[in-house]
Amino acid sequence: MSVFSALFVKEVRLELRQKHTLAGIFMYVLATVFVCYLSFEKIETPRTWGALMWVTGVFTAFNAMQKAFSSDGNGTQLYLYSLAHPRHIILAKSMYNALLVAVLNVISLAFFLLFFGGEVIASADFGQLILGLFLGSTGLGLALTFVASLAYKSGTGVGLVAILGFPVIIPLLITIVRHTTFAIEGMSYLQNSLNLLILVVLNLLSFVLAFILFPYLWRE
Amino acid sequence: MNLWLKIICIACLIYTAVFSFWHPMAPGGLEVSAKSFHPGRNEFSFTGYGSHFLQEKQSMQVFVTVDSSAVYCADILSVTDEAHAIVSVFLPDTLSSNQFGFLANNNIDGTLLVEAPVGSEGFTFIEGTKNDSCHYEVKQEEHMGFGYPFQPIIIESIRNLMWHVPMWFTMFALMIISFIFSLRTLSNKSGTPDLNFDRKAAASAGTGLVFCILGLITGSIWARFTWGAWWTNDPQLNGAMVVFMVYVAYFILRNSTPDHDKRSRISAIFNIFAFALMVVLLMVMPRFAEGLHPGKSGNPAFSKYDLDSSLRTVFYPAVLGFVLLGYWFYKINEKIRILEDQQEENHHDEKS
Repeated sequence: MSVFSALFVKEVRLELRQKHTLAGIFMYVLATVFVCYLSFEKIETPRTWGALMWVTGVFTAFNAMQKAFSSDGNGTQLYLYSLAHPRHIILAKSMYNALLVAVLNVISLAFFLLFFGGEVIASADFGQLILGLFLGSTGLGLALTFVASLAYKSGTGVGLVAILGFPVIIPLLITIVRHTTFAIEGMSYLQNSLNLLILVVLNLLSFVLAFILFPYLWRE
Repeated sequence: MNLWLKIICIACLIYTAVFSFWHPMAPGGLEVSAKSFHPGRNEFSFTGYGSHFLQEKQSMQVFVTVDSSAVYCADILSVTDEAHAIVSVFLPDTLSSNQFGFLANNNIDGTLLVEAPVGSEGFTFIEGTKNDSCHYEVKQEEHMGFGYPFQPIIIESIRNLMWHVPMWFTMFALMIISFIFSLRTLSNKSGTPDLNFDRKAAASAGTGLVFCILGLITGSIWARFTWGAWWTNDPQLNGAMVVFMVYVAYFILRNSTPDHDKRSRISAIFNIFAFALMVVLLMVMPRFAEGLHPGKSGNPAFSKYDLDSSLRTVFYPAVLGFVLLGYWFYKINEKIRILEDQQEENHHDEKS
C-alpha cells in the first residue's frame, strides 16, 4: 500500500510541479464552455444541457489523459518497473487520473452553472448531478488511462488515444448523458438507479480489465 | 477446413438462398380503406395480401369487430380481384367503443385480420353493447398451407431474417474465437506472446468485422423498410456501430505497431477489452433501454415467430451455413497472414 501511496503522491507532485499543463487544461475547459455559451447563448432543454456538459467533459478528459504515460520519460518508466509491481503503477495512475478528470469536470460544471444557469436547471437534483459527475469522470479517467497506456506502448504517439478511446467510452457517454439529463429534470434516485448501476458496472469493468491486463502490457 | 464441412456449408447457403426467397408468404390482411365510421351503412374495401378472394368468392365473409366483443357482419358488394373486396356494414347508433377490428374469412386463406385505426362520428358509446343479429362464424384456425407468417409491417421483408440474423451470429462466433486466441496469446508460459495465436486472433476478428459490416448493411435495409429510416436511434443499432468502430480501432492499433512481439501483446489486450465491450453493448445494454429492435424489454422479439415451423426450416440451416462460411473465411484469412509473415521474413533474410 505504501508503494501505491508513494506512486500516487509522485503523480500529484509531478502535476503540481508542471503548473503550466494544469493551467492549460483549465484554460481549455473555460474556453470550451465559453465558446458553447457564445454559440448557444441559452439552453432550453435538460437533454442539451447534459449532452453539452459531457461533450465538454469528454474532450477535457482526452486532453488531460494524452500525457498520462508519455509525461514520464523512458528512464522513469524503467526505474518504476524495477521498483514497483505493475499493478501498483496502474492503480496509482488510474486513481490519480480519475481524480484529475473529476476535478476538471467539477470546474467545468461550475462554468456551466455560471454561463447556462437559469430555468433549465431550476428543478435539478444537485446531489445526483454531483454523483453522476463523479462516476462519469472516474469512468472516463479509468478507461482512458488504460487506452493511453496501450497507445503509449505501441509507440505511435498521442494520436492513437483518440482513435482507440472514442469507441471505448461511447457506452459510458450514452449512460452518463442520460443520467445527467434525468438529474436535471429532477427525477428521484430510484428512477435514475438503472443508469447509476450501469455507470458503476462500466467503472468496475474498465478498472478490473486494466488491473488484470496491465501487467502483460508492462513487461518487455 | 474439412471437405465435408465445406460441402455442408455450401449446401446450407444454397438452400438458404433458394428457400428464403422461394417460400410463399401466408395470406394476410393488409389494410381497409375506411377512414371514419358513422351510424348506418358504411362502405369500404378490404385489402388482403396473397389472398384468394376471387377464387373463394362463395365462402367470403367480412366482419367488423368492436372492442373485440361485438361483431357486425358486412355484406360483400363485389370482389374486384384476389386481394380486394368491397363490402358494406350496417352499424347501429350505440356501440361499446370505437376500437374497430376487421376480419375477412374464406376457406383457403382462413381468417385474415386487420387492425387499423378508424375514426368514428355520431355514435353513443355504452360499454358492453353486444350484437346478436350477426351470425358469428369465424374460423379461427390459421392458414393451413406452408408459408412464412404474415406480419403487418414486416410483410415480405421477413425473408431478411435468414440473412441478417445469421450474419450477427457468425460475427459473434468469430469474435469469441478471436477473444479465446487473444487470451492464449497472453497466457503463454514462457512470457513471450505466441505469434501463432495472435495471427489466429487477428484473422478471426478481421473476418468477424466483414460479417459485422454485412449485418449493418442488411439491418439498415430492413430498418428502411419497416421503420422508415436507414438508421434509427436504437440501443442495438448504436451498439452495433460502436462495436464496428472498436474493431476497426483494433486493426488501426495493430497496423500502427511494427514490432511483432509488441504488436501481439498490445492488440491481444485491446481485443479482450473490445470483447468485453461488445458483450456489454450488444447483450446487456439493449435489454435495459427502449428501442425498436426486437429482443428486449417491451418488444416481444421474434421468439414467437421463430417457433413457426416454416421459418425454422430455413433459419437453422442458414445459421449453420453462415457460421461455417465464417469459419472457412477465417481459415483462409489465417493462411494469407501466415504467407505474408513468411514473405516478410524472407525479405528480412535477403536484406541481412
